[in-house]
Amino acid sequence: MNKLFPTQEIGSLAKPKWRVKGYRGESLSKAEIVEAVKWGRKLRIENLDGLVKLLGERDSPSRRKAILEWSAKYAIRLFEKAGLDIIFDGEQWRSEMYEHVVRKTAGFKFLGYVKSFDYRYFNKAACIDKPKYVKPFYLDEFLFTRENTEKEVKVPFTGPYTLVDWTFNEYYEKRLSGEFRDFRMRKFEAKREFLFDLIKGVIRPEISKLVDSGAKWIQIDEPAATTNPTDEEMELFVESFNETVKGFHCTFSLHNCYSNYEVLAKYACELRNCSQLALEFANRDSRQTGIGNARTGYKEIKLFEDYGFHGNYGLGVIDVHTDFVEPPELVRDRILHAAKMIDDPSRIHVSTDCGLRTRTWEISFQKLTNMVLGAELTRKALE
Amino acid sequence: MIGCYLTGMLPRPKELIEITRAYERRKVDKNELEKSFRKATEKVIEAQMVAGFSYVTDGMLKWQDLLRPFTEGLSGIELGSLARWFNNNTFYRKPIIVNAIERRKNIVKDITYLEQMPKSFPWKAILPAPYTFVSISENRCYKNETEFMFDYAQIINEEIKSLAEAGFSYVQLSDPALVYEPLASSVKRDKLALANDALTIAVKGTPVKTCLQAFFGDFSRILPEALDFPVDHLGIDLYETNFEKLKEYSFEKGVALGLVDSRSSLVENQDELVTVAKELIDSIYRSKMSEVFICPNCDLEFLPWERAEEKMKVIGGVSKRLREEFYE
Repeated sequence: MNKLFPTQEIGSLAKPKWRVKGYRGESLSKAEIVEAVKWGRKLRIENLDGLVKLLGERDSPSRRKAILEWSAKYAIRLFEKAGLDIIFDGEQWRSEMYEHVVRKTAGFKFLGYVKSFDYRYFNKAACIDKPKYVKPFYLDEFLFTRENTEKEVKVPFTGPYTLVDWTFNEYYEKRLSGEFRDFRMRKFEAKREFLFDLIKGVIRPEISKLVDSGAKWIQIDEPAATTNPTDEEMELFVESFNETVKGFHCTFSLHNCYSNYEVLAKYACELRNCSQLALEFANRDSRQTGIGNARTGYKEIKLFEDYGFHGNYGLGVIDVHTDFVEPPELVRDRILHAAKMIDDPSRIHVSTDCGLRTRTWEISFQKLTNMVLGAELTRKALE
Repeated sequence: MIGCYLTGMLPRPKELIEITRAYERRKVDKNELEKSFRKATEKVIEAQMVAGFSYVTDGMLKWQDLLRPFTEGLSGIELGSLARWFNNNTFYRKPIIVNAIERRKNIVKDITYLEQMPKSFPWKAILPAPYTFVSISENRCYKNETEFMFDYAQIINEEIKSLAEAGFSYVQLSDPALVYEPLASSVKRDKLALANDALTIAVKGTPVKTCLQAFFGDFSRILPEALDFPVDHLGIDLYETNFEKLKEYSFEKGVALGLVDSRSSLVENQDELVTVAKELIDSIYRSKMSEVFICPNCDLEFLPWERAEEKMKVIGGVSKRLREEFYE
């Protein structure tokens, strides 16, 4: 991209009520339909009568598919209207980043809910057989997005290390039982086998389909990358990334957030074919404007630089966990501060910390609009 | 003696999970939530007795995280933001220490379902150990960690005494931070001396059996110092511990062998566990065998309830077979 500070979102956007309930076949309230029309008008979506009619119909596979298409179109338009340079569809076709892939792949079984924290739980699966690719899980979503925008498309892709880390590993642990008398070594070896079988059998076939169909940029999402910060595990993570992207003619990047960047920085240089690290910083930063001391959240960039990372940053300048709408001046100062630290503004892509799925569309739209304005202010400041 | 017990929180059974989620969405009230906790507690106590455990806990279903009853119950502490629970995809609220900590009421006794506990059975309670509590809190008050750790250890001492009065005969102190040090090549020896001092304060004059349960890390790293800790038993996470190194040491104290993996849903093969346990027992007790407990390596709460229940049966089964092997 030629212009400085191109803007991007990480991946997800909240799903509108009409998308969630409509997809489940539940009936919608008048207010929910009004909301759909209101955003439709705001985003200049055509044929809104068609959507209203669809929402009033009885549940059927074709209605569910059409609802997904409508909500993807809405999300694409929202990103376009906010002025982003690189977009996707807000992951409107995915139930959630983990479940979406696991449900569409053979060899997994959901065991039920386990505690995440307090009264929050997540549905955790076990690998019970060698993972097998059954059908594409991102391809159709990518094709639809590409057809519906002129903008550059970046496909968010849940990374294999995270899928493995969040899954019970029954198949491989059982297969190796008796082979290692030291349980720790056995578990690690079982994890390794699971990971590389998943990459070879499921992840790479999907990437291959995406690339063959014209995907130019795939972002590997690895929130679990530094969950196990030992050298042994970090090396496994790096190896998994490199094996995932090896040999494809496509741009790859890595997204990781709410993690230990001291650990990640140490290994960032070893990631091959990783054009961008999209990292979360705004969440750690103060809300005062200014560069220098006010920018408490960005100090870890230095670590990446010191370890010799030369790629681009997807610089998180928007905190996705708060409704505070960052003013463009704050966005500008965050970018200027980082540009000064790395001494090469062309290495900065302007980004949200993570996907905006926990914010309302209203807040998300305001935040993204200000992010784009902030990038523009920064360009002017550097003229 | 060879016995068995739990080493931490049990997962909430499905029906309780549903009620807690409904409570979050304000679909049920506090009374109904409380009723469900009580009912689920009865169920998980029953499961421990069916599995043939030597001690029972109340399952700690209400505990939001290992530190929470203290984070919320002691004065001088504010509830902080979510932080990762060691290397798990699970989170706890960081205690923020804003004032010298004080215990103004019974903490664990008040959160435990005493009425549901079986009268004719030995009871076990589980508390966060001083070293772990201090190292994963955010200290904004104490000038040095030692002072903070000793204050907390004193509180634990009062807690253990109140639990003993209530009828508990066994108290475990959970100490993952003592062995979980993924970035350090070795454990600092002065840290172990400090942990020992804090434990001495915590258990002083308490009329119960005590155990220090170290999990998520390699127990051999805190040897030989741990052999001198002022507790009756040492709990070892066998899914993180280097077996060969562990076998280099000779134990006199009792051990709690974390032979069942709470972080894996695969139900263990009892034959294999019996073989491994026998080998370890033979290696570490060179002169005389002490008390041995078979247990999960850490809290079973990482599993869905059904799987945890199956694993409890494995624990009971392995323990029974070892008793037969060693005493018959």
